[in-house]
Amino acid sequence: MNNANIHRSRLRKKGIQDVLVILVSAFITLAFLFPYIYLGMSSFKTSQDVISVTPTLLPPGFSVENWVRMFERLPVGKYLGNSLFVALAATGISVFLGSLSAYSIDRSNSKVSRFLLVLTLCLKMIPLSSISVPVYNIVIRLGIYDTRIAMVMVMAAINMPFVMWVMCGYYRNIPVSLDEAACVDGAGSLTTFLRVILPVSLPGIITSALFVLFCSWNDFIFGLLLTSVNAKTFSVAISEFITAYGLDFGPMTAAAFLFSFPVLILSVLAQRYIVQGFTAGAIKE
Amino acid sequence: MRLISRRTLILFFIPGAVFMLLFLLLPIGKMVLDSFFTFTRMGSREEFVWFDNYVTLFTTSKYIKPFVNTVIYVVISVSVEMVLGTFLAIWFSNSYRSMRFMRSLILSPLMMAPIVTGIIWRFMLSAQFGIVNQTLVNLGILNKTSDILWLADPKFALLSCCFADIWLTTPFIMLMMLAGISSLDSNMLEAARIDGANKLQQVFRVILPNLKTIILTALSIRVVDAARSFDIIWAMTQGGPNYASELISITIYKTLIKNHQEGLASAMAVVFVSILIAFALIFMRNLWSGQAVRKERVRK
Repeated sequence: MNNANIHRSRLRKKGIQDVLVILVSAFITLAFLFPYIYLGMSSFKTSQDVISVTPTLLPPGFSVENWVRMFERLPVGKYLGNSLFVALAATGISVFLGSLSAYSIDRSNSKVSRFLLVLTLCLKMIPLSSISVPVYNIVIRLGIYDTRIAMVMVMAAINMPFVMWVMCGYYRNIPVSLDEAACVDGAGSLTTFLRVILPVSLPGIITSALFVLFCSWNDFIFGLLLTSVNAKTFSVAISEFITAYGLDFGPMTAAAFLFSFPVLILSVLAQRYIVQGFTAGAIKE
Repeated sequence: MRLISRRTLILFFIPGAVFMLLFLLLPIGKMVLDSFFTFTRMGSREEFVWFDNYVTLFTTSKYIKPFVNTVIYVVISVSVEMVLGTFLAIWFSNSYRSMRFMRSLILSPLMMAPIVTGIIWRFMLSAQFGIVNQTLVNLGILNKTSDILWLADPKFALLSCCFADIWLTTPFIMLMMLAGISSLDSNMLEAARIDGANKLQQVFRVILPNLKTIILTALSIRVVDAARSFDIIWAMTQGGPNYASELISITIYKTLIKNHQEGLASAMAVVFVSILIAFALIFMRNLWSGQAVRKERVRK
């Protein structure tokens, strides 16, 4: 009897502690997400309320005015389409060509792989603003300024060393006997690569593809320099709410929210691969 | 016998290599070369000046300030991120069911565009209609919302940019630490608990020492990335007011685009990149040799 009572009170104490921990955690989570929640809330305020001198978290009156004005100001579909096209095409090109190159580097056992490691690490350290002008000059000379092709090629090139580095790490663990077996069965080199090697290194492909996708989608500085009217990406368009129209916060909150929502969802879903991508090149296995 | 011929391997290698050569190695080479020249306003090389650009760089206070700013920015942002990210990882690493959901939520800004982050914080820190100052007034910390001009006051501009950086990248530190914590041997913590170690002792004596490699890795990645920040500052202050928040990447961009001093900008970039590479190589060599030693020990 007595014993049971002690047990029960201990359980209750544990229960209270659990609730406390969860409440505090929920508070931390909300506090941390506050900037993003506030952005979303603000996009549904009226244009007066967005720039009210006594701002509130919740919209005093619900309104889609900012969203409507965003669509009036910007060819949203076109710029989002540009961003998406650039991100997808750059991802496709850099992952395919990068993994192909990496395969030949790994299987040729040359010193190139060591050079590649150094190159990748160095590239991670170059301020993009410093190579942006030489890149700009090259793009002008090729006559592809303000085209989506230019953005795709630049994004693909910039991210390729990363892809190669990640993929080299995966190929190293695939025994050469696997290639040989496929060859003996009569498969050509390209078929071997596509049908045998790539499927085995799928996690590496996913990791590098996700990273190129995020990096190209989030790119700002090259979009700023290499595009003007036709190929403008959405990130550049958002930033223009600050410069060209003065400070038009209303539609800007809508645009910023729209632009980052898919990223948020995708990064929650793909956390495992993101960890691998971040640590690639930094942790030697 | 080689089953894949040398020729095929080269064929595989070339397409990717051409891309990198054209849009990456060529620009980098041009950057190094340009740092030894002066330029006309039209952007063509004028004169070979040896190391004059480098001398200008190290003797003009206007160009030294961004280096100092960058160091301050990196130190503040990265140290706060490390502490906050590690704390959050430890706090959220317990196994309540609802925790896992919250953990995913809190990690969601992980890959958000820096330009968007800058915009959000610019909006929140605005002196006229920012919610941060309004909250401070409501709490009685400020008298009126214009008491702190986060973005327009040279004392606060750089710090404000740090806030945005900290918010954006704390999830990254948290993610790395969570990965580290989940790979820890649970018996070790169990043993510490049985020996009567309290929560704090478990954290400082068991968890953190065992995460050393991950902490150092995250630190090295973050230092390099924070040093290169461009988008956040561009969205928030564009380096102003009066160069108070100008980081090297911003100075390079302005020197290139607005002043057309390509030689000087290139020299700046070369110095900057050299410092970062030196830092990273020294840091990572120590890290890797440390790992190698540990593996040796385990094998014995």
